[in-house]
Amino acid sequence: MDAIVSIRDVTKDFHLGETVVQALRGVTLDVRKGDFLSIAGPSGSGKTTLLNLIGCVDTATTGVVQVAGHDTAKLKERELTNLRLNTIGFIFQSFNLVSVLNVFQNVEFPLLLQNKLSAADRKQRVVSLLEQVGLHTHQKHRPNELSGGQRQRVAIARALVTEPLIVLADEPTANLDSATGEAIIDLMKSLNQTRGTTFIFSTHDHKVMRHANAVVRLADGKVLGRETPEEAVAHAMGQEVPREARAP
Amino acid sequence: MIDRLALLFRIAARNLLASPINLLIGGLLFVGTIVFVVIGGLLDSLNTSMARSVVGSLAGHVQLYSARSKDELALFGQMGGDPDLAALTEFPRIKEAVEQVPNVKAVVPMGLSGAVITSGNIVDRSLEVLRGLYRAKKGESSDVRLKDVPPDELDRRIVSEKAHVRQIIEVLRGDADKAAKDLLDQRSVDPEQVAALAKVSSAAFWDDFDADPYGALEFLENRIAPQVTDTSLIFLRYVGTDLDAFQQSFDRMRIIKGTPVPKGHRGFLIADLLYEEQMKLRTARRLDKIRDALALGRTIATDDELKRYVRENRTQTREIVLQLDGLKTQEAVRQLQAFLDSREDDLDALLTRFFDVTDETFAARYAFFYERLAPTLELYRVRLGDTLTIKAFTRSGYIQDVNVKVYGTFAFTGLEKSPLAGNTNLMDLMSFRDLYGYLTSDKAAELKELQRERGAKSVAREDAEAELFGEDSGQVVAEATAGVIDVDKELSGTGRLLHQEDLVRRVYTQQEIDSGVVLNAAVMLEDPRRLDETMQALSAALASAGLEVRVVSWQKASGLLGQIIAVFRVLLFVGVAIIFFIAMVIINNAMMMATIQRTQLIGTIRAIGAQRTLVLAMVLLESVVLGLVFGGLGMASGAAIVAGIGLKGIAAPNDVMYFFFSGPRLAPVVTGGPLVIALVIILFVTTVSTLFPALLATRISPLRAMQADE
Repeated sequence: MDAIVSIRDVTKDFHLGETVVQALRGVTLDVRKGDFLSIAGPSGSGKTTLLNLIGCVDTATTGVVQVAGHDTAKLKERELTNLRLNTIGFIFQSFNLVSVLNVFQNVEFPLLLQNKLSAADRKQRVVSLLEQVGLHTHQKHRPNELSGGQRQRVAIARALVTEPLIVLADEPTANLDSATGEAIIDLMKSLNQTRGTTFIFSTHDHKVMRHANAVVRLADGKVLGRETPEEAVAHAMGQEVPREARAP
Repeated sequence: MIDRLALLFRIAARNLLASPINLLIGGLLFVGTIVFVVIGGLLDSLNTSMARSVVGSLAGHVQLYSARSKDELALFGQMGGDPDLAALTEFPRIKEAVEQVPNVKAVVPMGLSGAVITSGNIVDRSLEVLRGLYRAKKGESSDVRLKDVPPDELDRRIVSEKAHVRQIIEVLRGDADKAAKDLLDQRSVDPEQVAALAKVSSAAFWDDFDADPYGALEFLENRIAPQVTDTSLIFLRYVGTDLDAFQQSFDRMRIIKGTPVPKGHRGFLIADLLYEEQMKLRTARRLDKIRDALALGRTIATDDELKRYVRENRTQTREIVLQLDGLKTQEAVRQLQAFLDSREDDLDALLTRFFDVTDETFAARYAFFYERLAPTLELYRVRLGDTLTIKAFTRSGYIQDVNVKVYGTFAFTGLEKSPLAGNTNLMDLMSFRDLYGYLTSDKAAELKELQRERGAKSVAREDAEAELFGEDSGQVVAEATAGVIDVDKELSGTGRLLHQEDLVRRVYTQQEIDSGVVLNAAVMLEDPRRLDETMQALSAALASAGLEVRVVSWQKASGLLGQIIAVFRVLLFVGVAIIFFIAMVIINNAMMMATIQRTQLIGTIRAIGAQRTLVLAMVLLESVVLGLVFGGLGMASGAAIVAGIGLKGIAAPNDVMYFFFSGPRLAPVVTGGPLVIALVIILFVTTVSTLFPALLATRISPLRAMQADE
C-alpha cells in the first residue's frame, strides 16, 4: 500500500494535574498519497490531536507515527522542524497569517525558511499560487484588509508554496460561512486533484465531509471506521447509511 | 540568508509602532541617547578645550619628573599644597635622551614653587622718595633719574613730598582720634604711637627737618610707617624655567605689559591677571570690573556686586589720598572741582562724590579717572622694571630671598581672565635654584673660591669624626677676634660676585641654564594625537639611558584638575545608566508581554518550519531595531543640538570657566566618541533586556498554533 502516513496503535495522554486524559486510545490509520481525507467527529473526539501527531508538532505517548517514511518518535526537534518545513503544509482554523506582512510576504515566508529558491523563482511560485487561489490581485494587501475566505485562501497558498507531500487542515471552514467554507473545500479539492497533494482535514461539518474521498470517524479517541462521505454524513445526521453508500 | 534577515527586519520594523509600550520604550531610548550624546559631546569638547588650556599654559603634552619623588606631580596644585618632588639633577642628559625620541618638539625645564613678596606701605615709599631727593641734593644719589635734576626742582619736590608725608600723618591722627573716641577700652590705644604721632604733627618737627633729614626720616620710618597698615604680603606661585624655551614652546604666551626677559638673563614675569587683581590700586581695579560688567549688559542699578564696588570706592578713598603729595593733591582737587562743578576743597570729600557713579555717569568718570587722576598715582604696587625681593622657604627649611628684576607681565591667549592659568608667574631658572635652595653655578664658584681662600678641604662624611676629633685633628675652634665687621671689605671679595647689579646684568649660557637641578620638565609634541606611543618611547629612552624619570601625560600632571572631566564623565554615565536601566526593565517587561501575546504567531511560525534560532533572532531583532530607530533619532537629535550649540558657543559663566573653555566661549563640536558609545550602549541595553523574553519565545511549542483553534 502506498501510505504516506502510517499510524499504528497510537495513544496520546494529557496530564491535567493528577488527572490523565486519554485523547487517543490505540488509533491505527493509513493515509494514501493523493488522498483527500476528512477526519470527522464531535468536539473532543481527538481530531486535532491526531492531526498534531501527523503534523509532527506533537509526539505519541505510545505507538508508531510514520510520516513520509520517517518514524517521528525517532527524530530530533530540529529534524522534526525540517520535516514540517519540507513535507507538510498547515492550514489553521483561524488562518494564522502574520498580520504585519502582506499577502505576498505571508505566502513567501516558508520559502524563505527553506532558503532553496532564488528571489525570482520564489516570486514566480508565489504569484502562480496566488493566481490558483484567485488572489494575485491582492498581493500587497495586509491580512486585515481581506475577508475570512480570502485569508483562508492565502493560508492555503502558504501551505502549498513549498510543494509539500501532505497538507493538514484543522477545521479549515469553522470560521467561515457555509458558502465560503464550501468554496474553500472546493479549492482544496481541485488543488488535490491538479497537484496530487495529500490533504487531511478535520471537520465536524457534514457539508464539508461530503467533499472528501474518505472520512475517518473518531469518537472518544478511537477510530470508529473509515467511511465513505455518504456514510459519514448519515452517521453525522443520525441516519441509516444506504447499502450502496457503505464503504467496502 | 539576507532575504531571511530582511524578512525579520520587516517584521521588526512593522511591529515597531504596533504597541504603545514600544513608543514608551522608544521615548526612553530617545531621551537617554540625546542626554548621552549632548552631555558626552559637551564633555568631549570641554576635555579638548581644557587640554588646550593645560597643555598650552603650563604642562606641555607630557611631563617628566623624578621617579624618586614622594608625591605625584600636580601642576595646578593638590590637597595640602605643592607636591614633594625630588630634584632632577641630570637635566642635560634627560634633554638629550628625550630629544632623540621621534615626535618630540621641545623640552622645557621647570621648577614649580611658591614664594612671597612684601609690598612696602605708602609711608615707606614716600620716605624712600624723600630720602632719595635729599641724597641727590647732597650729591650722594646713584639714581640716574635724579642725576640731572636742577637743585631748585629738587627743593620743590622735597617740599611737595614733605607735604605728602604730613598729609598722611594728618590722616593717621584723624584715625587715632576717632579710635580713642570710639574704643570703650582705652588700653588698646598704644600711648607710644600717640606720642610719636603728636611729635611728627608738631610744627617744630618739620622746622627742624632739614637740619637732620636722615634722623627725621629714620624716626618716621621706625615709628610712623609701622602704623600704616596697608603693607601686604603677596603670595606668588611661580615656575622657574628656561624663559626663552618656555616662550618659544608655549606659543599662546604673550607679553602684555613691559618686555620679555632678555635671553639668558635673570628676571621675573608676573601673570597679568595677578598683576591686575592683586597689585593694582584697588579703586582702579574695581572701576575696571564695573566697566567689564557694564559691557556684559549688567547695570549698577540692579547688580548688587556692582553696587558694592561703587560703595567701596566711595568709602575707600584713603589709598588715593595717601598716595598724593601736596602738589598732586592740589592738582587733583582742582581737576575734580572742575569736573564735578564743585567748590569743595577737601580731596577726600571730592573723591567720595566722584566715585559715587551711576550707569549714566560711569563712562565719563572712568575716562576722567584714567586720563587725569591715574597719571599722578602709582597704579600698581610693583612697578615693571623694579627689582623684587622674593622670599621663600628652601627645601632645607630656612628662608631664602633673591632679588629679581620684573620685566613685564604675561598672559596666555584666550586665558587672560582665567585665575587657574593666571596665578602662576615665571622666573628664570637661576633665581629659582637660588630660591629653592639648590646650588647654582654662581654659588658653586663662590664656595670653591671660599674653600681656596680659607684653605678648607673637603671631608667625606664617614671620615668627618676622625678629621674633627681624631688625634691629628688639630685645632677645631678658631681664635675669636673682637671688632666690627667691615661690610665693604667683606663684600669686596667673592661675595661681591653675587652683588645684585652683577646678577641682574649677567647673561647665562644655555649650558649654564640647563646644568643644575630642575623639578620637572614639559615635553611638547609635534603630533599630540600620538601621545600614548610617544610616552612609551620616552619611558623607554629614559630607562635605557639609566635615568629614573616618571613620564606622565598632561592630564595626570594637572592633578585634581585633570580628573574633573573624568568625574563629570562618571556622573554622566551614572545618569545615563539609570535612564537605560529603567529602559531595560521596561523593555524586558514589554517583550515578555509581547511574547505572551504572540504565542499563536510564534507557534505558527514554528509549525510551518522555523527553527528556534530564527524565533530568537526575530525577537532580539525587534528590540534592536526599536533601539536603533529611536536611539538613532536620539543620536541625530543630540548631534544636531551639539552642533547648534557649537554655532553660537557657550559663554564662560565666570572667570574660572575661562580655563575649562580655553577662552571666553566654548564651541562644542560633534565627535564620534559619544555617538559610537551611544550605539554600543543601545545595542547592549536592547539585546540584554530582550534576551530572556527571546529565550522564552524559543520555548513556545508549535502546538500553540493549533491550540488557539480549539
